[in-house]
Amino acid sequence: MSIIVLFLVFAVMLFLRSPLSAPFSLPEQGSSLALGFIMIFAFLGGKNINRLKLPQITGYILAGIVCGPYLLKLLQTGEVHDLQLLDGLALSLIALTAGGEMDREKLRGNWRAITFLVFFQTVFIVGGVILFVWLFRSFFPFFSGKPGLEVLALSLLLGTLATATSPSTTVAVITESRAKGKYTDLVLSVAVVKDFALIIFFAFSLSFSKSLVFPGQAFDFGFLLHILSEIGGSVLLGIAVGIGVTFYLKFVKKEITVFVLSVAFFTYQISQSFGWHPLLVCLLAGFLVKNFSSQGESLIDALERSSVPVFIIFFAISGASIDLGALRTSWILALTFVIWRGILKFCGTYAGGKLAKEDSVIKRKSWAGFISQAGVALGMAIIIERTFPSWGGEFKALVLTVIAINQIIGPVLLQRFLANVGETGKKDSEFRPRH
Amino acid sequence: MKVFFAFGFLILIAFLGSRFLFRGKKFLTPTNYFILSGLIYVFLGIVLGKHGLNVLSPEVLKGLHPLISLGLGWIGFLFGFQLEFRYLRRFPRKFIGLSFLQSFFVFALVSLSFAWILSVLFSSQPSYLLYGMAVAFGLLASLSSPTLLNFATSMLPRKGDYYYLARFLVSVSGFWAVSGLILISSFWRYPFSAQKIFLEGLILFSSLLLFALLIGSVFHLLTRKRAREQDVFVFLLSLVFFASGAAFFFNLPPLCVCMVMGVTLSNLTRIQEKIYPLLLSAEKPFYITFLILIGALWELDFEYTIAILVGLIVILRVIGFSLPLKPVGGLLDFPYPLPFRFGLCFLSPGGIAVAFAISIKLMYPLPLTDIFFSAALLSIIISEFVSPWALKISLLRLESEE
Repeated sequence: MSIIVLFLVFAVMLFLRSPLSAPFSLPEQGSSLALGFIMIFAFLGGKNINRLKLPQITGYILAGIVCGPYLLKLLQTGEVHDLQLLDGLALSLIALTAGGEMDREKLRGNWRAITFLVFFQTVFIVGGVILFVWLFRSFFPFFSGKPGLEVLALSLLLGTLATATSPSTTVAVITESRAKGKYTDLVLSVAVVKDFALIIFFAFSLSFSKSLVFPGQAFDFGFLLHILSEIGGSVLLGIAVGIGVTFYLKFVKKEITVFVLSVAFFTYQISQSFGWHPLLVCLLAGFLVKNFSSQGESLIDALERSSVPVFIIFFAISGASIDLGALRTSWILALTFVIWRGILKFCGTYAGGKLAKEDSVIKRKSWAGFISQAGVALGMAIIIERTFPSWGGEFKALVLTVIAINQIIGPVLLQRFLANVGETGKKDSEFRPRH
Repeated sequence: MKVFFAFGFLILIAFLGSRFLFRGKKFLTPTNYFILSGLIYVFLGIVLGKHGLNVLSPEVLKGLHPLISLGLGWIGFLFGFQLEFRYLRRFPRKFIGLSFLQSFFVFALVSLSFAWILSVLFSSQPSYLLYGMAVAFGLLASLSSPTLLNFATSMLPRKGDYYYLARFLVSVSGFWAVSGLILISSFWRYPFSAQKIFLEGLILFSSLLLFALLIGSVFHLLTRKRAREQDVFVFLLSLVFFASGAAFFFNLPPLCVCMVMGVTLSNLTRIQEKIYPLLLSAEKPFYITFLILIGALWELDFEYTIAILVGLIVILRVIGFSLPLKPVGGLLDFPYPLPFRFGLCFLSPGGIAVAFAISIKLMYPLPLTDIFFSAALLSIIISEFVSPWALKISLLRLESEE
């Protein structure tokens, strides 16, 4: 039935946006219509795609691509921009969920594996991308005629970007699949830990690349202090938020859903205004509530109740933002790069797993959890574009195409592998409304 | 960024408001009821709006338009969802007759009086505009809310015939007014045109009904088989957004589209007990946010003309709700007397009247509708203050005398 309704809603929206209804309509009043439409269409899309054993978030993303301003234009560019208002809220909720899902005992047990997997993934990918770029630089339009040092700088940045994974996608797929087990824990922990290691590594790469590209500019060690202050601030705020949430859940226990939404929103706002990392803050807060109080279940319950509509919009809008024009022009190069990145991910996780003496499932299959890319990589691409304006635009177009492909295939791969290792459907996530 | 900040700020206020200001008040006093009705948030909206701190500036309000849309849609859907014919059929048919005749009397009395007073006060305005406004005032005046009665229920010594009749009347009165709004929004369409009024109106009227019926049926189809509560909530939120967004897209009132959608679903579905708690669980924060935005949208015109209109509407409502009771009671052969003072228990207009007023303001962006909006809001505020006292001298006394 839901597939019939999906087409029905789609047909209604096509009619509403058609010239037939134009004499009666006010196009400038379309934001609520767009929001309602994408929420129901993406949700039903996710449900139907789930029947093909694909994750729901792939359905949300595809719904966004199909209806977005680059394909059917059922969502206009301005409306997509307006709806990105929810990105910050979604990221905070995702990070709170990730923190609330992480178990201290399991983390302690997996610490060696996490460290090795993060380290070897980074080394393999950065090294492999530099090699790839060096060998095939004539295929990259923005490398033509560039001196060797500049190519090295660029390839270092591209390698750093390729290391990035989307913890939000990982969390969403794991939550949706109701997955539980060692593989799940490890993938989630590595995705989150790597994200923070990457923020530091990116600052280093950027500073190093600037010193290579702009010869007058010396390598700036000031970034280390800056990063330390950012992390310190984030940790302090995360602890404060965690304590606040714990007290509220323990002693007040009312209007929990709206409370969690307020916390997610303001944590994001405060972090952003101080230049701290909202992801780290919320992750730490969720982790503290889960592991140092008895309120972990209440938090997860409230998050499940409030986050689904936000996630649907977040992923659908991320799909609608995928620039299909850029995808059309650079898809061969991007696809080659995606395959190479996948191979490097496999090699890195295999090596990390082997040295950490993990079992063969982790060694051979954990790479699939690190394919997705979204906000973090995109943010880095934007910083690179601004720092190196002469070639940043072309660089960003390639990166956007790579991110788009990875974001489509990443969730599918992760869900397949979660099912393959037998960890899906092990957690009850049905929520009961409180009145 | 400002929109983002304002959005978060509204979430915070909605949270604090739901937490602290809706706590049960034990005594039926005007202040207690005023706080409970949520109208205090309209004043908060004024403080945050362009006449105050300008946090909710016109530019920000434009960005937050989906929240207004959601608020209107949610109120309309919640109201429509309570109109379940299986339940309403349990009441005697003469209740429906009384409800219609009482609402019609208030509507006719206010509309005719306002057609005259508006033509005197705003003689330079075109007559079609003044008559349209008079109709809008009439429909607004006929609205009555069940909130006050719900609040007073625990204070009643016993629940007798008057209580059940009053409960029925306040629950149904909104249906007539919102149906009237469907008609005026379809046939009295902005920007006004002298051509094809009837044909265009008919197309819009039937499209509105068909669309709302379709979305209501879609909701039913999606939840007919076993659906998780989480999914039902997403369907609810997205379809209310979709329906209210479509209404705004065609300059029609979301209140009406979502009411019809609610009525459709309520009469098709068998999972009312699953949907109703979800509707109520989200009602408070949505309603608070909505009222704050209403306050921020208020132009705050205080002219002598507005004072006249407010005074007139308050007095005419008292007369309109009370006067027809005795003759209509006799006409419909009610088994018990319907004294004039029984009409005083219908004075609380409630949130649906606020939603009605903002619908008119948004559909007709004219200086005259700003005056309508100011007069409507002030009359609602005064009526809400007066209504607890009116309820005491009407229903509570009648029930104790019975």
